[in-house]
Amino acid sequence: MHNTFYICRRELTSFFFSPIAYVILAAWTVLMGFFYSGAFLSYAVVSMQLARNPQAAAQYNITPTSAVLEPVFSSVTVILLFVAPLLTMRLFSEEKKQGTIELMLTFPLRNGQLFAGKYLSVLFIYLIMLAITIVYPIILSAFVKVDWTIVSSAYLGMVLTGMAFLSVGLLASSWTSNQIVAAMLAFMILLATFLVEALAISAGEPLSSILRHLSLGMHLRNFIRGIVDTRDVIYLININLLCGFLVLRSLEYYRWRG
Amino acid sequence: MIRVENLTKYYGNLRGVTDISFRVEEGEVLGFLGPNGAGKSTTMRILTGYMPPNSGSAWVADINVSESPLEAQKNLGYLPETNPLYAEMTVRAYLNFVASMKGMSGADKEAGIRRVVGSCGLEDVAHRLIGNLSKGYRQRVGLAQAMVNDPPVLILDEPTSGLDPAQIVEIRNLISELKGNRTLILSTHILPEVNMVCDRVVIIHQGRIAAEGALDTLAADMQADSMIRISAVGVADALSGKMKMVSGVERVELIGTSTGEEAHFDVHAKGGDDIRSDLVAAVFAAEGKLTEIRQMRLTLEDLFVRIVSGEQKHDEEPVDEEPVNA
Repeated sequence: MHNTFYICRRELTSFFFSPIAYVILAAWTVLMGFFYSGAFLSYAVVSMQLARNPQAAAQYNITPTSAVLEPVFSSVTVILLFVAPLLTMRLFSEEKKQGTIELMLTFPLRNGQLFAGKYLSVLFIYLIMLAITIVYPIILSAFVKVDWTIVSSAYLGMVLTGMAFLSVGLLASSWTSNQIVAAMLAFMILLATFLVEALAISAGEPLSSILRHLSLGMHLRNFIRGIVDTRDVIYLININLLCGFLVLRSLEYYRWRG
Repeated sequence: MIRVENLTKYYGNLRGVTDISFRVEEGEVLGFLGPNGAGKSTTMRILTGYMPPNSGSAWVADINVSESPLEAQKNLGYLPETNPLYAEMTVRAYLNFVASMKGMSGADKEAGIRRVVGSCGLEDVAHRLIGNLSKGYRQRVGLAQAMVNDPPVLILDEPTSGLDPAQIVEIRNLISELKGNRTLILSTHILPEVNMVCDRVVIIHQGRIAAEGALDTLAADMQADSMIRISAVGVADALSGKMKMVSGVERVELIGTSTGEEAHFDVHAKGGDDIRSDLVAAVFAAEGKLTEIRQMRLTLEDLFVRIVSGEQKHDEEPVDEEPVNA
């Protein structure tokens, strides 16, 4: 526990020492703000039109939460597809490249603690990024009534989805000593889980539902609609466990091969 | 304190080390010698628990490294060959991190850091980024890192490689100061270094131990036959004829003549007896004028080259018969 904390703290210091931290945080804030203001403005237009047309309004049943926040929250998976590989690429590969992993592996330290420290550090950064986005529902609540139950379920979903994305990134980073390769590998794995979803549309049952369930981005949708389904929770946590397990195997392999 | 038994490590089909066994007693400084790629780093990496061996076992501070790696690693300071450091950290922050990793905390940790910053001469650079330090200072940070928890066992992989001569002397002095009651394994391919700091050497070649022992005994073993170089002005044949008659002389070799009819001989003698005065008498008997006489001592370099080249011949046949698993 003690060791995990210090590794996490060291990773965070290194992360904020490098410009990449600020580039990612800035890009994230700009993109989320862009999505939010777009959704907010179009909702303003649509709600004006619907106010003049009560029939259509009854038909569509548009709430501020579904019209503004849903698209913003859904876009998180797409941004994560790019951001998660960038956040995680250096965690193991840089240590391998610089040889510092040799020292880390000779400290009285379990591989699991090493993984946990790195994982927590990047999770912490992601939580900061998510925390920034809380201003959007707060701003919205100044004008209209926001359904906070849906917002909290959406945040739970975003945290769990993000954790799964980050663990895939960590896994890719543990495979190589090259950061670019690590980022590309993570990106390709994550992209594949998106493509699986596209395949699901054309595939017949039961393959279609299996493929849809395998898709990483898919599982956020229920959370955003306010549904916390244990299947989604278990799926996302399992991705973490699987990646964690594979990272530990990869470290073992690295020790053996030298 | 440190014990290694029948250690074997393969990298795929490549042999790292084969059947290596040695021990280091408490407070001893062991020099680990060998050409590049001989298996020094491999052995050290196994000792530090970084890498598991294919077979055999290693004990550090009398703890089995494979069975309880964390316990063994607590008693260990390690400076890898590449001296990896986090360039983006300050010296102090880095030492603080390493001390925490080694399970230190509170006042204990502060004291440990203050001690190594002092003993490694890092006071002036303690708050600078490691990335901005010179190689000599980085090497000191590497040493400080290894010693921060005051471990009973220190393993240093080529601590002076890549440094300039002044820095080498500095680091060497530092290592000599550290000796104390610590058990130390030091790998190097710089031979004088071994002479200066080590009590005992293990010479490793092609993954096997080629020779082991205290430096003097090793040299004495190899020096069963001594050699004396003599230069004299006179008739070469007469000189060598007289010298051959001295008891104990095995053979006299004329290695050259220079202007003024000065001849140079290598006299090979059996046994350890000093026959220099007899040889001087022989030169006078041949009516020669002695210009130089010198007992040739076997230097560590000669020793090393002899062991390494001897081992090579001896090793040629069985290579193919090696069992290659893994």
